[in-house]
Amino acid sequence: MISKERVHAALTHREPDRIPIDFGSTAVTGIHVSCVAALWAHFGLERQPVKVHEPYQMLGMVEDDLKQVLGLDVDGVFPRKTIFGFPNEKWKPWRTPQGLEVLVSEYFRITTDAKGDTMIYPEGDQAAPASGRMPQDGYFFDTIIRQDPIDEDHLNPRDNLEEFGPISNEDLEHLRRSMAALQGGDRSVIANFGGTAFGDIALVPAPFLKYPKGIRDISEWYISTRTRREYIHQIFTTQCDYAIANLEKIHAVVGNKVDAVFTCGTDFGTQSSSFCSVDTFRELYYPYYRRVNDWIHRHTSWKTFKHSCGSVVKFIPSMIEAGFDILNPVQCTATGMEAEKLKAEFGEHLVFWGGGIDTQKILPFGTPKQVRTQVLERCKVFSKKGGFVFNSIHNIQARTPVENIVAMFEAVKEFNGQN
Amino acid sequence: MSKELYDAILAGDMKGAVAATEKALSEKVDPLELVQKYMVVAMDEVGRRFECEEYFVPEMLISARAMKASLALVRPQLTASGAQPAGRVVIGTVKGDLHDIGKNIVASMLEGGGFEVFDLGADVTPERFVNAVSEKQPHLVCLSALLTVTMLSMKTIIEALQQAGVRPQVKVLIGGAPITQQFADQIGADGYGENAASAVTLARRMMHAN
Repeated sequence: MISKERVHAALTHREPDRIPIDFGSTAVTGIHVSCVAALWAHFGLERQPVKVHEPYQMLGMVEDDLKQVLGLDVDGVFPRKTIFGFPNEKWKPWRTPQGLEVLVSEYFRITTDAKGDTMIYPEGDQAAPASGRMPQDGYFFDTIIRQDPIDEDHLNPRDNLEEFGPISNEDLEHLRRSMAALQGGDRSVIANFGGTAFGDIALVPAPFLKYPKGIRDISEWYISTRTRREYIHQIFTTQCDYAIANLEKIHAVVGNKVDAVFTCGTDFGTQSSSFCSVDTFRELYYPYYRRVNDWIHRHTSWKTFKHSCGSVVKFIPSMIEAGFDILNPVQCTATGMEAEKLKAEFGEHLVFWGGGIDTQKILPFGTPKQVRTQVLERCKVFSKKGGFVFNSIHNIQARTPVENIVAMFEAVKEFNGQN
Repeated sequence: MSKELYDAILAGDMKGAVAATEKALSEKVDPLELVQKYMVVAMDEVGRRFECEEYFVPEMLISARAMKASLALVRPQLTASGAQPAGRVVIGTVKGDLHDIGKNIVASMLEGGGFEVFDLGADVTPERFVNAVSEKQPHLVCLSALLTVTMLSMKTIIEALQQAGVRPQVKVLIGGAPITQQFADQIGADGYGENAASAVTLARRMMHAN
C-alpha cells in the first residue's frame, strides 16, 4: 500500500498493511521546533534551521526528508495565516530564548519587554497591542487577553464574529496552491481550513486580531456559556452559516483530494473531568457540529476530525452522532479514557488519531524502554480492524529527549514488522 | 436569615450575593458567622457539586465571583474584628508558565473556604515565592503548572524554600494537569490536589496536621 491507501484503509475501518503514522500535519499532531531540530541532527539530515510553521506552540515544520526517514503517511494543508494573523512567508532567522536558530515568517515581529519576555504582534503590526507572550525562558507563546470592560446591556454578537466571514479569493488561491504542491505525492492529506471550531478557547482571545471586541477573556467566555447562552448561540449560528458557505467554495477548489478535515479543536475534557455536561454539549455545540459534519458528508468524501483533550468519554456517543469520524488526541491518561475501553466501545464508529504515547509523563520523562512498551501496547489495542492513525497524545513538547522520540518511532516500526 | 447569601453564591448570582450581604451586615449579623455559616458552606457545596459533575468550570467561576463580591464587603469588618482565617496561603503559577485559570479557581475556592489567599499571579520565580513566604508567613504554599516543561521548576521552588530556611514552616501543595501524586512525592511536596475542590480538602487537612 502507498501511504494514501494505508490511511484510507484506517479511516474506513479496514486493517491496512501497517499502522499509518502522522506527525506534523495539524497544529495538534506536531513536534516542537527544538525536537524537530534534534531529530534532524539525530538522523544526520542536512543541517539548516527548522521552520516554525505554527508560532503559537512553536511547532517545527516536518519537511519531506524527515517524513521519509520517519515513515510518515500524512501531509497537512494549512490556512494562509497563522494564529497570530500573519502569513508564513519570506522566512527569516530567529534565535529562540534557548539559543536555537530557527526560521520564522518575515511577519513574526517581536519585542522584548522589561521582564525579558518575548511579545508578538497580530498581523506583525507592532503599532497594535501585542497579542502573545513567551516567558523569558519559555518554549511557547500564550495569548494576551485583551478585554475591554463588558457593557452587559450593549453586548453585540457581531463583535465576536469579526474573525468570521466569506473566505477571500486570496485564501482560496492559497488552498489551491497548497493542494497543487502535494499533487502526485503518495501521502494522505488532512486539511486545516479553519472557521469550523465553535468556541475553541485558544481562538476566543483572537490573537490574530489587532483590536478584538466582544467577549475575549477566557474565564468570561466560560462564564458566558452558562450565563449568556443566547449570545453564544447567535455567534455560533452566524459562524456556522459562514462556515458552510466557505466549505462549499473550498470544496470547489480542493475537491475530494483531501482525505480528512480538521474540523474542530474545542476542548471539552480536563484531566479528570470536563468543561461542561453532556446536556450542555448537546444544547450548545451539537447542533452546529451536526450541520457542518452533515454538509461535509453529503457533499464530500472528507472524514471529519475532532480534537479534544482530556476526559471526553461521556461526550463520545454525541460526537459520533454529530458526525465526527475521527477523535484526537485520545488522552488515554485522563479519567475513563483507557485505550482498551475506548476501542471496545467506540472503535467500530470512531477512528483514533492519537493515543499512541503519553506526552505528559512517559515520552518526556520515561526511558526509551518504557516508551517502547507503551507504544507496542497502544498499537496492539488500537490497530485491530483499522481505525487508528498513530500519533502521540497531542504535540511532542519541548525538552522531550530525542532518544525517546526515536524509540517511539522504532517501536511503531517494530509493531509494523519493519525492523 | 442569610440563607439568601448561601443560595446566591450557589446560583452564581453576584447581585443577589451582594444584596444579601449588605442586608445581613445592616442587620448586624456577625461577619465571621456570615463567612463560616453561609459563604464557606456554599463554596463547599460548589466543590461537592464539581466533584460529582453537577457543576463544571463555568458554574465554579460564577459562584466564585459571587462569593468574592460578598467577601469584599465582609472583609473590612472581619479585619476590624480581628477574626482569624482558616489559614494563610501563598499561591502562584510557576516560572515560565502563564496558565492561570486553574490556579485562579483554586485560589477562589480556598478563599471561599475561609483561607486568606495571597495570589502571586503567573510566571512566578522561586525568589518571589521565598520572599512571599518571608513577608506573609503563610501556612501553605500552593504551586500550579500546566506544562511538562515548567512542572520541574516546582522542585526548584521547594529547594529555594529549603535554602532560605523557610521550608519547615510551610506545607507545599501542588497541582495542574500533568501533576500526579507520584510527582509530588518525588519532588518532596507535602500534597497534591487533583482539582480545586480536592485542593480545599487537602489544605484543611494540612492545617490540622500543623
